[in-house]
Amino acid sequence: MMQSSPFNYRRAIILIGRLLLGALFVYAGYAKIFLPNFIPSPMFALRFSILTNLSNFAMQVESYELLSRGGASFVAHTLPFAEIILGLLLLIGWQVRLWASLITLLLLGFVVVVSRAYALHMNINCGCFATPEPLTGYTVLRDAALTVFALVVTVLAFLEARAPHPWTAPRQS
Amino acid sequence: MSRRTLFLIVLGLGLLAGAYSLTRKLNSAEAAAAARPASPAPEPVAASSAPARPTPATDTSLPPAPAAGNAARAPEPQGVSLPDVDPHKAFGSKNAPVVIEIFSDFQCPACRQLYAATNRQLLDTYVNTGKVYLIHRDFPLQMHAYSKVAALYGRAASQIGKFEPVEQTLFENQDKWGQSGDVDGTVAAVLSPADLAKVRNLLKSPGTVQTLQALIDKDVALGKIDNVGQTPTTIFHSKGQTYPVAGAMTFEVLKNFVDQLLGQK
Repeated sequence: MMQSSPFNYRRAIILIGRLLLGALFVYAGYAKIFLPNFIPSPMFALRFSILTNLSNFAMQVESYELLSRGGASFVAHTLPFAEIILGLLLLIGWQVRLWASLITLLLLGFVVVVSRAYALHMNINCGCFATPEPLTGYTVLRDAALTVFALVVTVLAFLEARAPHPWTAPRQS
Repeated sequence: MSRRTLFLIVLGLGLLAGAYSLTRKLNSAEAAAAARPASPAPEPVAASSAPARPTPATDTSLPPAPAAGNAARAPEPQGVSLPDVDPHKAFGSKNAPVVIEIFSDFQCPACRQLYAATNRQLLDTYVNTGKVYLIHRDFPLQMHAYSKVAALYGRAASQIGKFEPVEQTLFENQDKWGQSGDVDGTVAAVLSPADLAKVRNLLKSPGTVQTLQALIDKDVALGKIDNVGQTPTTIFHSKGQTYPVAGAMTFEVLKNFVDQLLGQK
């Protein structure tokens, strides 16, 4: 009779982490590209609405006063797509260690930037999901919690990679 | 306590936190939706065939105050019929093929960005050449302490034909008067003593202030009907279609879009 493998906390946390973080990043990227404006047709109106959304996001990035206008525009036009791709790769589960590490580094960067803005009492929008969201202590805590979670998932993914495959037959003494 | 139990407790707490956060967001979205007045079905945007509403050429007297609960919308003599356009805050040819309404708050940084990056060029390239009819709508947000005062000053200045310099100075000095609340001092810097006296007199008269406030409230009501949730919100009207867009945009992006609208058959 076939038996299922025993419940493994490490693999369970990695799976939940992959799904949660992957979905979150895909949504974050989607929101920056398609929200708040979405005019599906005609095509030039769709292009216009996307460009306006990215322009809004660029303005939010600029409001952190860390990058020049050109730098903020570059980040605004690349980060949403990078978030979607990273999220999808994590959801798929391919090269989990690599993408989880990248996502952890990205989240760490977000936490640093958001914490700095909060410490300087900057009255700005978070820009996390493109829709107007004032930057508050809750934002800092949320990002910090996500970063810790991503770090845990990454560490467990590395540990899991070093462990023998669960389907490996036990050595017979 | 076994590891499995501990794991399940942590997982449960995490799900609860996520559900709480989501509920908070949903509640705030519902509260915002409930605060919006019940909006009637929007009138179809179509070429106006009704007789033109008489508009004064250089009249500086105040437009009549709207009746309470007035939902009647007199059509404008233009390609697109829009309700309640204050001629003092509308620019360009009423027969332009594209109409742009901008719902704006003088204390909103994104509105300043839109004004600085886009509006000037929009006026020069499209409005003054008869391609776009530009309508400025007031939409002061509750979160901005002095935006209503600024909107009143803008309205009063528009009555004496000085809206543009006042708009410019309010946006350019937004950081200063946004902190201090000194809208009067900001406006005084760009108006002649005679014009400033006229504006102040308009704002001292309770009846006039009530009329000006009613005009602002009318713009806000129109914005809520059009689901304006943030400023700036730009609504493009062309060939019977309406394209609402929230947020600021560069002139290049706007130009591309307006050219496409103008090129539509």
